[in-house]
Amino acid sequence: MIARSQRERLLDAAVDVVAEKGYAATTVADLTGEAGISRTTFYEMFEDKEACFLAAYDAAVDVLTRRVATAFEAEDGWPARVRAGLEALLSSLAAEPQLARLALVDAGSAGPGAQRRYRAALQRMTPFFDEGRDYAPNGRALPANTSRMAIGAVVGLIADELKEGHAKRLPDLLPEVLFATFIPYLGPAAAAREVGKGAAPATK
Amino acid sequence: MGRHSRFQSSPMAVELASKREQILTAMVRVVGRQGYEATSVADVIAEAGTTRTTFYRNFEDKHDCFLAAYDALVDRVFVRIVSECDGEEGWLERMRKGLGTLLDFFADEPEMARAAVVEVAGAGADARRKHSEALTRFTAYLDGGRKLHPEVELPEHISAMAAGAVSALIFDELVAERSDRLPALLPDLLFAMLVPYIGPAAAAEEMRRAA
Repeated sequence: MIARSQRERLLDAAVDVVAEKGYAATTVADLTGEAGISRTTFYEMFEDKEACFLAAYDAAVDVLTRRVATAFEAEDGWPARVRAGLEALLSSLAAEPQLARLALVDAGSAGPGAQRRYRAALQRMTPFFDEGRDYAPNGRALPANTSRMAIGAVVGLIADELKEGHAKRLPDLLPEVLFATFIPYLGPAAAAREVGKGAAPATK
Repeated sequence: MGRHSRFQSSPMAVELASKREQILTAMVRVVGRQGYEATSVADVIAEAGTTRTTFYRNFEDKHDCFLAAYDALVDRVFVRIVSECDGEEGWLERMRKGLGTLLDFFADEPEMARAAVVEVAGAGADARRKHSEALTRFTAYLDGGRKLHPEVELPEHISAMAAGAVSALIFDELVAERSDRLPALLPDLLFAMLVPYIGPAAAAEEMRRAA
């Protein structure tokens, strides 16, 4: 049990330190210092800084994917499911801006291993989008990688907010992110209608 | 040869300018090959066949050089795309031609492509800003598509959505070291780029025409 909690502390430390200093400037000493563990213990668990970073990355993606899946599966019909999933994603990212940066911005800066992980992480979101193919009027005519396009558009919008330091505002991005999700499956006019359907009564 | 301009650069100035360009090209090549973090000034000097003195006469450090190299690369791609598209009349044709030109360039220059699309994310906040600015410069042309269906109210960031979709597919191929396959991806990428403006049925039709 102790070994496990030390590992978790290290993974948390990796998220915090990398968010603060950037991957390149982060040292093993920073990680052990932040986690309050010894260098020896670090090297018992991880080969190097990169291995620790990748483990933290995988853990972060696991948490996010699980939350999205839970919200998605609680609803019926693709538009409602994907709306709930994206809502969960945006609120999770807003609640943990450092984790959000790690998952969607800094992964690209940690070398080829992290870049491949990032790509694999986004692929794990594919099933949430692929259901759109059955919902779309002419789903079979769509290119095989339509879900990757939608994910790219969604993640691009989120990453732009994160780079500006606007993590807290991510939940407000829901209409745009939904629009980006629906558009390759339904087209702009139907996407706009679908986004409008679930909109909360105007409070502004 | 026509007559010489009285402002013609001295041979010395020409040589200095070309040294600078060689360093800029070397910078993106090395970064594309081994990643930004793993790149040292020494690697760039060796690739460019120049000296430390020349490097530091032109640039403050690796980061400064990378930012300049990034600008030069974006300009180069931009000029090539604009000149290729100039002859095309319609928006759709220009989009197809522009995208095809970009993919051919990336397939010919895989190291530059990796530097421009993948490694730029790891080169600091300034580099990421330049990357966003470059994307905006390209996507401004996409918004011509808004006129096709004026009756549909499109969100402000529609061109960013199109760009995000296209970049994602290109990123995947580059990370998997399959830049040679990018030109074959033109039909799919065309779909991704056009669908926000013309919808899936028309975009799938353009995809078939480009196949």
